[in-house]
Formats: sequence, C-alpha cells, structure tokens
Amino acid sequence: MAASISGYTFSSVCFHSANSNSDHEGFLLGEVRQEETVSISDTQISTAELLQVVEIHNHDPCAQLFSFYDYAGKVNEDNLNRILKDRRKSVIGWYRFRRNTQQQMSFREQIIHKQLTQLLGVPDLVFLLFSFISTANSSTHALEYVLFRPNRRYNQRITLTIPNLGNTSQQEYKVSSVPNTSLNYAKVIKEHGAEFFDKDGVMKDIRTIFQVYSALQDKVQAVCGEVEQSERVKEKIQEDVNKLKQQIALRKRKTAEEERRLREAQNAESHPTSEENSEPSETSLLSRVAFHAPSAPERPGTSPNPPSYSDLLSQEDSLLSSSSSPTSAALLPRPQAVGSPGHPTPGPLGMGLGLSLGLGLGLGASSNPVPTPSTAYLGNGDGSSSDSLDRQAAGQEDDDDDDDDDDDDDEDSSEYENLVSEAAHLPMVSASVLAQGRPAALSPDGDARGSQTS
Amino acid sequence: ILYCGFYLWKMNNMSPEVALHRISPELRPLLCSVVRNGRVGLDSTNCLRVTDLKTGCTSLTPGPCCDRFKLHIPYAGETLKWDIIFNARYPELPPDFIFGEDAEFLPEPSELPHLVQWDAGDPECLLQLVKELIQQYHQYQCQRLRESSRLLFEYDSLLEDPNYGRNMEIYAGRKNSWVGDRIVLVCPSFISIMSSLSQDTALDPGEDVALLSVSFEDAEATQVFPKLYLSPSIEHALGGSSALHIPAFPSGGCLIDYVPQVCQLLTNKVQYVIQGYHKRREYIAAFLSHFGMGVVEYDAEGFTKLTLLLMWKDFCFLVHVDLPLYFPRDQPTLTFQSVYHFTNSGQLYSQVQKSYPYSPRWDGNEMAKRAKAYFKSFIPQFQEGAFANGKL
Repeated sequence: MAASISGYTFSSVCFHSANSNSDHEGFLLGEVRQEETVSISDTQISTAELLQVVEIHNHDPCAQLFSFYDYAGKVNEDNLNRILKDRRKSVIGWYRFRRNTQQQMSFREQIIHKQLTQLLGVPDLVFLLFSFISTANSSTHALEYVLFRPNRRYNQRITLTIPNLGNTSQQEYKVSSVPNTSLNYAKVIKEHGAEFFDKDGVMKDIRTIFQVYSALQDKVQAVCGEVEQSERVKEKIQEDVNKLKQQIALRKRKTAEEERRLREAQNAESHPTSEENSEPSETSLLSRVAFHAPSAPERPGTSPNPPSYSDLLSQEDSLLSSSSSPTSAALLPRPQAVGSPGHPTPGPLGMGLGLSLGLGLGLGASSNPVPTPSTAYLGNGDGSSSDSLDRQAAGQEDDDDDDDDDDDDDEDSSEYENLVSEAAHLPMVSASVLAQGRPAALSPDGDARGSQTS
Repeated sequence: ILYCGFYLWKMNNMSPEVALHRISPELRPLLCSVVRNGRVGLDSTNCLRVTDLKTGCTSLTPGPCCDRFKLHIPYAGETLKWDIIFNARYPELPPDFIFGEDAEFLPEPSELPHLVQWDAGDPECLLQLVKELIQQYHQYQCQRLRESSRLLFEYDSLLEDPNYGRNMEIYAGRKNSWVGDRIVLVCPSFISIMSSLSQDTALDPGEDVALLSVSFEDAEATQVFPKLYLSPSIEHALGGSSALHIPAFPSGGCLIDYVPQVCQLLTNKVQYVIQGYHKRREYIAAFLSHFGMGVVEYDAEGFTKLTLLLMWKDFCFLVHVDLPLYFPRDQPTLTFQSVYHFTNSGQLYSQVQKSYPYSPRWDGNEMAKRAKAYFKSFIPQFQEGAFANGKL
C-alpha cells in the first residue's frame, strides 16, 4: 500500500495542530484506488502487482476533543454526521496530533478506530498520528508522522509520501493527481477558459493544428490522385510504345526477307554491282532500311558526290506507301550534329525516335554501330543512345507524331548536309550491315557503284 | 531471570514532590494520590513511580503545565510502564493510555467504571482507574496463558483453593524474550501470622509482605524457579536471607502441593521467631525480677540483650547476656567483664562463656535461678583470671 498527501493538505494539518494548545484530531478525506502494474521481464511472462494507493486530498479538523465520542470512547453517530455532513463518503481515515508522546496508537484511539471502521464502512481506514517532540530547552522541535492501517495484522505502518517535498534538485517537479477542489479555482477557469477552450472543452490550439493537418492531408491525397493519373497515362504510352516497337521489328523482318529474296532473284540474273555507291548510298540506304516498299527504290545517281538529302527526301516521299503525311521530311528524324542549333524536345516524340532507331539498326547489328567522335551523340529522353544514322532510319515511325515534325521542317537542311559529309567518316560500319541494309538495287558484295545503271 | 526493583520500594527517580511541582495544578491532586498513597497489586511495598513528565501544550505556554507522564507499576515481578496522557487545558477530560510493550492489551471500557464515569474532582479517580486497569491486565495475562496450558492448570487449581483465592498475579512471558511465565502469590497463612506478629513486634503488616514467585521457563515445567520475596524488616526478623531456604520445586510437581509446603516452612519459621521473641521477653523479665537492682540495661524492644552489674565478695563485675535469634534453642552467650582490670589493648578484661549448664526446656525463672547459681560458681575463677591477666 502506498499513501500520499498533498503538500498543502499536510501543511494545513500541521498548522491546525501546531496552533492547538492540546491534542488535536480530525478526519482525512480523499480516495483509495487500486493500481495494477503488469511487468514483463525476460525471466517471467508477466507479473501483475496490485497496489492500493491512498490519496489524501483534504482534512476536516475537529473543533474540540471528545466531539464525536464519549469518555468510554463510544462513537456517537449523530455527532459524527453533524461534523462530517456530506463529506462523510470521502472519509478515508482520521488523524490525531499529540505532543511528546510515543508513536503508538493509544487505548482510546484503538477503540475509536474500530468503531469508525464499522460506521463509515471503510475496511482499510487509515490513522495518521502526528507527534511533536521538543527538547527540554525548546531548541529543537521535531514533527513526526506515521500512517497506520490498524485493521491489518501485519505491516501496519505505511510510508506517507508528500510529492515535491524532498530533494527536488534531483527529481522532477511532479504534478499531483489530486484533483483541485477549490471553488475559486473552478470559477476562474470557467471565466477565462473560453479563450483557450472551445465549447466542447477541447483546447483551441489543438483544433487549429488539427485543421492544418487536415488541409495537408487533403493536399497529399490530391497529389496522390494526380500521380496516379499520370502513372496511368505513362503506362498507356508505354504500352503503345511497346506495340510500335513490335511493329517495327515485324516490319524489319519482313523487309529483310523480301530484300533477300529480291537479291537472290537479282543475283541469278546479273553480276554483282560495284560498291562505288556504297558510301554515298549509305545514307540513302540507312534511311530506307525501314521501308518495305515492294519496288526497289530508285537508285541515286552514280556520281561520286552523294545526293543531297533533299533529293533523298523527295525520293522517299514517293516510296512511302502507308503514310499520307504532307511532307516526308516531317517524318524523318532530325539528326543532330555537333553544334546543331536545335534539339528535338525530349518527350514522347523523342522517346519514340530513340527506341525505333535502336530497333531499326538492330538487324544483325548492334544498335549503335557508328559512334564516332565527330558525330554528335544524339541523346533522347529515354537514355538509349542514338546517332545520326539511327535517326534517319526511323523515319517511318514519325507517322504518328506529326506535331513535332512540322517544327522540324522549318529547320534548314544544313544539318543533313553535315550528316552527308560525315557519312564518309563512318568506317566502322561493317560491310555486312551495309549489305543487309542496302536497298535492293545495290549488289550484295558491296560493289554498289558498279552496279548502278545510268 | 531478573527481578529488578522488587525490593526497592520507595526508590524513585525523582521524589514525588518534584514531580508534582511540574504537573499542571488542576491535575496535581490526581497524581498526588497515585504517588503518595497508591498501592496496587500484591506488592504493597512498592509504590507507583512517575517519570518522564511532558506537556501537551505549546512550548510557549508558561509552566507548570505537564500533563503526560509514564507510570511504573510493579506487577508479577515485572514493571509495567504505561503512558498516561491528559490535556492540561481540559483537565476535566479523562486520560488516555498507551500500554507500552503490551500493544495488544485492549481492555473493555465497560469494565472500567472509573473511566466511564470519570470525575476529575475526585482525587482518587485516577488511582481507582489504574487499579481497574490492572485487574483487566491480569485477566489479559490469564488469557495469554491459554497458550501455555501448564501454568494455566496451576493457576486454575490455586484459584479454587480459598487460601489463595485471587491474591495472585500472573504474568505470561513473551515468546521472544527470556522472560518465562510467572506466577506470584501471597503466602496466605503469612497474612494471619503477620497480623499476630505486628502486635508484638515492630513489623507493620501494611508495609511488610511475603510473596512467593514461581517462574516457569518452559512449558514442560522442567525449569521452575521459585523465589521468596520478603520485605526487609521481615527478612531481618527472620534472620536474614541466608536463614530462609525454600525447598526446590520438585520436577513434575504441582504448585498446589508446593506452595503449601513453602508456606508451611515460612510459617514455622515465623512461629519460631515469634516464640523466640516471647521466650526472650520471658527470660529478661525473669532476670529482672531475680536480679532487680543489678540490671544495668536491657533491650526493651527485641529483648536480645541484658547487662547485669553484680557483686560478689566485694568484687564487682558485669555480665552481658546476649540472646541469640533462635533462643531458646540456642543458649545465650554470657560475657563476664571486670570493672577494675584492663587488657593490654585497653579494653576491660572479659571472658565469654558459651557453654554452661543450660536447657532450653527451662522456663525463664528456672533459667534465671540457674544462671545465678552459675555466676556464683564461676566468679572466683573469673576473679583470679582478672587479677592474673588484667591490669588495674
């Protein structure tokens, strides 16, 4: 059992007692509650400890001795009620103060205690004994106090703690759980409480903070929605891209097959053509890789100078069978050389380009066969590397993406010229690649020029 | 076993007068009767003692204002130390008590009439209340004896005997201390003896007491220690503590058999003493009548001494007669002393005669006559010796 008394109650009792010129007594008001502590340790599953806590909130001093009992120590219930009135139900004990006596319950105190236990119906009624000891020359006075629970057989003395009385430098200031029963306090709080509390008794600050929190939560929810939507869009586009890639691959395979057949057919008739035009026609070759036109594209001129891109463009226009786009130039990718003014904006278009370019040159060759120092590394949004050659090959994929191509058209074709001149700097392209990608008009062994007919 | 303070009657830490002086004036009469006249219990020689006077008033209250103290009460060979608490500011209120180590002693207030009808105006009220409390305490001890059936059996058997009745104090020893159970009772036949003795002797029945205390150290009564307590004057009258040996408690014996034994012994002794007293008186009286003017002086109270101045053939001499305690069993010592001669050490020449014709069965007259005859026969011898060995 643990017991505590608030500091102000204790000092009030002491004040009343010390000021009386005889023994003094009164009642202790408070509450008794049971505290259950469950402790879990490594060695045991759990142990529950039941602790009875007695809290003394207030006291009711008696005006005089023998006010509720007679000489024989018999308690008079009427007098008791008169003294306690409606506080009777919160009585948890009583106290006595006597100077210069032993810390032991006296004869009459024991008799009264028994009766009070019965009358008040408190089985564990406590008794607080104050004893004031003074030295002979009155130089030192000691106030001793002991809390008894006389109704028990053993362990009759309980330690009484007074919160915040002690060495507070080592302890925190404890807030007592003793309720404040002061009327004045209640009045003031009621008056000024409206500034801090709303009508439900909740602190206003809390509500405000909660509102902020709610707003933040709403915003987060909204952003979540947006993220979800954009994710779905991205998903859809990703699907589309994948589909297109599949189509490209399919087309390439078919084109390659057809070319092979054509070549085989041609080889049976004529000797292999020279490869003079191999270089200059590389560009045209590559740009036509994606085409699956049944007829062989018209061969560019056998002049050593490679045809300008614009010529190619015009030719390719006629080759395009499926598209009905206004200008084929719009469909062609825009190769980027070093120092080129513009750069297609990374986005769906860019991504589309990159991927298709990669695929375009994937026919038996690595997707990046021609990285040269002089060639600008064309970056697109998706990280796949592409170069000028790649870009050119992917002309067909631009069918779906008309928007940006208009912009591309506006740019001059100087870049293409650059590209064309740089075509000569592409030595690493393997002949086999070229052979595969060559238009049908070219001989397989590379003597493209030689086979050109005028 | 220690029995302290049992003989020490009237031994106070502070004399009653000092204590009373410090007590609050309104409470003084109550305490006065307790301290001065108070006899409680069997041991009426031991007064109640008051110590540790304290006050319940504030320290600024001018004195005297002591209203609480410790009362020492002899009981069954122990001393009870009870705190008595008054309130000086309210002297009409009855006191409260703290029963010291007997924390479980809780008398029923209805058995304490002087508490229920406390009358502060009656100076005897406190004393009466204390007596009532002691009665209750006695009953409380008897109840505690329930645990030790042996002593209870003894007590019950003694209780039935009208000789002892209620003149007994029981103390049930504590388990944790080395004090055993004890029963103290008054030797009953002694009371009657005392009253008869008091007429003849200087013994005061109110002051003197003879108590038998029997301690049982263990429940099987294998260690039993009896002790006889006599007030000093009785002890002296009976010939000192060495003269009075009581028999040991027979193992397996009962108090109901043993106590009468002891009492009988005591009675016999006392009877003997009384007889001796009478005999001595008779003796002296006879000598007085026989020797008349020859008597110089004699012990008129205890009749233990007699001095005669006699003359034989112009030879004067003194005869000192010393009567022993167990006269007439033991014969008196005669000391002859010359009035003329000195010894080397400056004393009067004397001779002691312890054996001379004597019989305890003679009466006083006979003894006087025989003594006279003896003197006549012995004196010449003495005279010669005096002249020979002494100096004038």
